[in-house]
Amino acid sequence: MNDEKITSPLGPAATSASAPERKHVHASYIWLGTLRSVGAVLVVLVVGGISSITSLIRAASYEYQLFGSQAFGYGSVFMTIILALVVVLVVVALVVGIHAWAWRHLWYELGPEEVSVYSGIISKKRVHVPYDRIQTVDQKASLLQRAFGVCNVTIDTAGGASNKAVLIPYLRKGDADALRHELYARKMGMSAATTSARATVDAAPPTGAPIVAAPAPAGATTCQGNVLDLGEEAWQQFGGVFAGDTFDMGAPSFEYRLTNKELVFTGLSNNGGFILTLIAILAGVSSIVSFAFDLFPNESNAIMTDAASRFDPFFLVLIGGIVLIACTIVGWCISVLGTCVQYGGFHARRRGTRVEVERGLLKHQTESLDLARVQSVIIKQSFIRRLIGYCELSLGKVDAAESENSNENTGITPQGLIVHPFLKVDRVHEVLAGLVPEFADIPDATTRVAPVALRRGLIRRCLWQGNGFWVAVSVAALQIVAHLIAAFDPEVVGAIPSIDLICAIIYGFAAVFFVLDIIGSVYWYRESAFATNKRFARIKNGGLSSMDVSVPRQKIQFGNTKTNPFQRMAKTATIQMRTAAGVSGTTTQLIDVSQDNAASWLEWITPKTSHPAR
Amino acid sequence: MEQLPTQKLNPKVKNVWRINDLVWLVVLYLICTLPFFIVANTAPEESGWAMPVVIAETVACIVLAVVFAFVLPPIRYARWRYDVSPEFLDIAKGIVWKKRYVIPFIRVQNTDTRQGPVLRAFGLSSVTVSTAAGAHEIPGLDSNTAAELRDRAAELARIAREDV
Repeated sequence: MNDEKITSPLGPAATSASAPERKHVHASYIWLGTLRSVGAVLVVLVVGGISSITSLIRAASYEYQLFGSQAFGYGSVFMTIILALVVVLVVVALVVGIHAWAWRHLWYELGPEEVSVYSGIISKKRVHVPYDRIQTVDQKASLLQRAFGVCNVTIDTAGGASNKAVLIPYLRKGDADALRHELYARKMGMSAATTSARATVDAAPPTGAPIVAAPAPAGATTCQGNVLDLGEEAWQQFGGVFAGDTFDMGAPSFEYRLTNKELVFTGLSNNGGFILTLIAILAGVSSIVSFAFDLFPNESNAIMTDAASRFDPFFLVLIGGIVLIACTIVGWCISVLGTCVQYGGFHARRRGTRVEVERGLLKHQTESLDLARVQSVIIKQSFIRRLIGYCELSLGKVDAAESENSNENTGITPQGLIVHPFLKVDRVHEVLAGLVPEFADIPDATTRVAPVALRRGLIRRCLWQGNGFWVAVSVAALQIVAHLIAAFDPEVVGAIPSIDLICAIIYGFAAVFFVLDIIGSVYWYRESAFATNKRFARIKNGGLSSMDVSVPRQKIQFGNTKTNPFQRMAKTATIQMRTAAGVSGTTTQLIDVSQDNAASWLEWITPKTSHPAR
Repeated sequence: MEQLPTQKLNPKVKNVWRINDLVWLVVLYLICTLPFFIVANTAPEESGWAMPVVIAETVACIVLAVVFAFVLPPIRYARWRYDVSPEFLDIAKGIVWKKRYVIPFIRVQNTDTRQGPVLRAFGLSSVTVSTAAGAHEIPGLDSNTAAELRDRAAELARIAREDV
């Protein structure tokens, strides 16, 4: 594997020298890193400090009232504050020193066959990643990092659960783009030299022609932007203080953004972080209230007693309820806005052999996935998306267990690379054809589940796994117990009508769930199917929310069938395929296909070439 | 793919299963029963309930021991079949949930043999075949067959090496 073979299509930023050059990360590592690690400590100190200072002030003023002199009291408060400041300064200085030291010992090298990252002051650590083992290269930038034009680069390998992604922090944006480009170029050089057979992979630099001519969808329609793209463009023009020269990555062969409508719907439907936001808001309000009580104990108590005497309790409860509902609505709006901002500036593009997804208005991230690493194409429809005919399109990939200091909580489903969060179902084909034309010949799922699957599906989904059913059963059990107690203990009889009322309400909900389960089972039966062709297997599980997974043949690690005694009586079987997608593999299954189809599934999984007949 | 694979495990593996299962059963029995036994013996007056518990657990343990020693191993053995073709490994197993796996050797990342004390006593080994998303173990082959299978799988996996 000689280095000269890899013709670097790059500028001076990343030319490969014969001896690998030590490249340090940007110096903003020192003070931005300090800010990040001290920031948390500072917040704790300030919050803790304020409460102790208020108590000190209170003690001092109490002293003042007692002795009529303030010399001692306020002086000691002043001294305490000075001391605290000194301590904080010393801590900050120490952390800056450590970061500067760490920075000197943190660098990466692009060797002929692998990228090496060196880090650590006392315990040295070096990580080597061979170029052709790279799964994905991601860039992430927090708001602060973005303002200064730096970002973190993470390199994922197919290490499975035990492996962590390799992190190169605080690279200038231009350098990061160049590094990503160089990594892929070298990876391609390696794989072109080692396995010439990989037909789909083209080692040409991405400035050249795209591999498979995308069927050129009208650029104007697909590139329609949304309001938040304006902000994104402003970012692009500003770039960041240290961003460095913008690196020309070559023109993408296919690109699209989200339209206004898609963005808003994404915000409305991807609300995973909502509960967290709500809790945070409630916690914030309660801490402010308690803080106010701490600071003005007499006044607050007076207000409280005053309020209690002036208004009747029902009114207070009403006020509390309104405040709670208002909090919920505000929280929900914030969460919707937050999701919109997270998906602001969304771009998905095909560039050379890789798919790149960029998003985030404030906190920015760019994920890139080489085509040879795509484990599956997943079309997912949640209940809401299904009602309005949209779906979420993502590409399955091997995820690292966690990146090295991943303390960020994205609140977005971790699995796979979402290439479109809210896509109209009839445009799926168009987007796939542009983004991953190699997946164009995915078969339609035509082999449906066996007819008996409807009965079995109803029993399974409505009874064994039916939430409504089990809620009804447990409530009924409780109700019976209550009535039995009432029969022997006349004192409880008075509570029986209200218990019955509550139970009836719950039965109502359970019935709704039960009906939903029935509808879901019928839809599951009507839509679930699988298909195989020369290169792909596709398994679709329908229902109120559906999931449609297509996997290239060479990404299926192994396949199997499974039967339980009931299935053997009904002459059906479950088919399963396992891929390496996700952190430790993913199993996709379809329950109750007919036994003949299950056999043909196994037949398809079996490697063919030297296996004439069995 | 209608007919089952042809190869069977070494018959001695039934004894290995028996010993393994019985050891676990005894450990579990001791953990569950000893506290009650001690309670029953130290304070016999107040804890008349403890002795029946001990007896019930002992009976359950004996029933389970019979099941694990005499009922399950022959069925499990009869159901456990495998085949090593040049290109894939074919495994059928399971008593209640019958499973059938096809593992192409080109997806195999590594294979290894393992020999615990019980297996060694019977002169057996187990072979584990790992893919990028999960491993499969063939328990209880005699050591020569196991080494042969391991080498063969490793060689096939190396020839057909492919990336994840």
